[in-house]
Amino acid sequence: MFAAQHLTKRYGRLTALSGVSFSVRAGEVLGLIGPNGSGKTTLFECLGGVLPLDEGSIVRDGRPMSDRERASTLFYLPDAIVPWPAQTVRWAIDFTLGFFRGRADLVEEIVRRLDIAPLIDSTIGSLSKGQRKRALLAIGLLMPHPVLLADEPFDGLDLRQSRDVGETLRSYASAGRTMFLSIHQIRDAARVCDRFVLLSGGRTRGEGTMEELAALAAARSGSSGSHRDLEEVFLALT
Amino acid sequence: MRSPRSAFAWLVAKEARELAAAPSWWVLLVAIGPLVGVTFINAARTYAEASGLNGTTAGVGEAFSPLVGIWSPTFSACEVAAVFLLPFVAIRLVAGDQQSGALKIEGQHPMPPIVRVVAKVVVLIGAWIVASLAPFAAVLLWIQYGGHVHLPELMTVAIGHLLNAGLTIALAAAAAALTEHPSTAAIFTLAVTVGTWVLNFVAAVQGGVWETMAGYTPPAMIAEFQHGLVRLDAVLISLVFIAAGMGLAAIGMRRGVAVRRRLRESLVLGAVTAAVVFACSFVNSSWDFSENRMNSFPRADEEALERLRAPLSMEVHLAPEDPRRADLEHKAIAKLRRVLPKVRVRYESATAIGLFEQTSPHYGEIWYEIGGRRQMNRATTAESALETIYELAGVAPPVERDEDIFRGYPLAVYPSGAATVFYGIWPAAMSAVALVVNRRQR
Repeated sequence: MFAAQHLTKRYGRLTALSGVSFSVRAGEVLGLIGPNGSGKTTLFECLGGVLPLDEGSIVRDGRPMSDRERASTLFYLPDAIVPWPAQTVRWAIDFTLGFFRGRADLVEEIVRRLDIAPLIDSTIGSLSKGQRKRALLAIGLLMPHPVLLADEPFDGLDLRQSRDVGETLRSYASAGRTMFLSIHQIRDAARVCDRFVLLSGGRTRGEGTMEELAALAAARSGSSGSHRDLEEVFLALT
Repeated sequence: MRSPRSAFAWLVAKEARELAAAPSWWVLLVAIGPLVGVTFINAARTYAEASGLNGTTAGVGEAFSPLVGIWSPTFSACEVAAVFLLPFVAIRLVAGDQQSGALKIEGQHPMPPIVRVVAKVVVLIGAWIVASLAPFAAVLLWIQYGGHVHLPELMTVAIGHLLNAGLTIALAAAAAALTEHPSTAAIFTLAVTVGTWVLNFVAAVQGGVWETMAGYTPPAMIAEFQHGLVRLDAVLISLVFIAAGMGLAAIGMRRGVAVRRRLRESLVLGAVTAAVVFACSFVNSSWDFSENRMNSFPRADEEALERLRAPLSMEVHLAPEDPRRADLEHKAIAKLRRVLPKVRVRYESATAIGLFEQTSPHYGEIWYEIGGRRQMNRATTAESALETIYELAGVAPPVERDEDIFRGYPLAVYPSGAATVFYGIWPAAMSAVALVVNRRQR
């Protein structure tokens, strides 16, 4: 789908991202995993065009993507925002659908799958964190862009909601939409994602499926496949 | 089904909804009624008294111009609203998207940032037009009292305030887009407004280039519109400043662009703006829309002056703060500049107030020079200036025509019902509309 090559982002003297590289494949659910402060949100904001990159590029078919191409390919759904707080969820869905020429044919289905109906006439500012997260995920899924970058899509959701959202994201990925999810809860990531990018200290520590990362961790630690789950792999590689 | 509305139309509709949800907008709407009420009722009372109400002696024709007597003071409420209320409405609409995070979503649309700014400005200008219904309610009351309305001069005043609102909106939008927090933007906007007042003060003391610069500040521009005068240079410069403010706001709203690059673009925009403003300052067309031609000489004099080909040079020995200098500037020089192709004025004074120069033998002299001939006069009236110019040019003074004399429109009527409209009905109606609109939006 596209590849990030040597992405570097600095805030003054602080280097938030340092030569981050990875690739994103069409139709996969890719998890960006890292501890707090590892640079996940910065990476997404750079990919989404919110922040400028200091170095590196986003490449598609061997050539750097233009801003316009990136804007029509990637949709970034930020975490911890309360957009249009005085407006209702219904209006926000209508507005983003109209403004971005989104998938109006999916509205009913997404509203049902994410259990938005009870919230539809509430103002966004009055929603709880989890309710707002579901409303914003609905907006993200309705966008026409082939790649959805969702920052912390499970943050604020309870166990049942996390499971339902995970299933919904997977089903749209299997229908051809690419999902790139920034997740700090490793269990959520392990449940939903096909592949992972491990980020720590602004650097890529590994990329691949669970098996590939386990092998990488084993190779680095010199042991023979003792890492049984993603948490252990993550700890071994970061 | 694809939406037939364009992205821009969606954005305008969204900005309108956000405006309707903003308490600051409703505060402006509710407050402008009583503000207009105070100014209109006081102006109408004074006008009535000058017209002979309650047995007072009737005034002179000049005093019976509704432009000066009613519309200038009534619409001055708009100036107060534009300075102290409108910036908060504009800042809320621009900074709200940044604060809430909506800009991170909307900013992903490939639409150029300037289009986003235009959508906001369109809605804010619409908001101002709605707020302007309050002074237009005063116009309706005035007509109902039997008052006279000369539409061109009334519209000149309204357009002047619209232009001033545009300047406020552009400044507030730029401040909101370039600063991190709305409170910083509010302080910055008010600081610029106070800065223009300081500039006017310095101009009054120092004169010279400061005076020229102060002529393009919003208060000076509005004062001219309120007298029915439209100066093309002032209009062009205002439009350039509005465009520059919108451009700065667009630069500030650009996501994914390094601060250094945005700073560079802002500096380039500033330099281009300064150059265009400088060029516009050489434009000297103007139109006097006042019914009593208060910014012009009588038509017969204008016709006589238009026949003069030689440039006029003036040397004025009056200090910047001497009231005679302001008198001469408004009553003679400004009118001469409108009709003569080339007027050069040189002010000479050793002090700012002129009080201690009175003993100087040349202080107070006004020298006129046409075609190498010079003559001195000390009077600051339009008549004396014209008399001197005609003498120097060897032109016979024209005969005053009867139709050129403005007789005025006295109206000795108490502004009954205005207090009920502006202090009662207007605020109640706006509060009710606010409630209904906000309920319907949910």
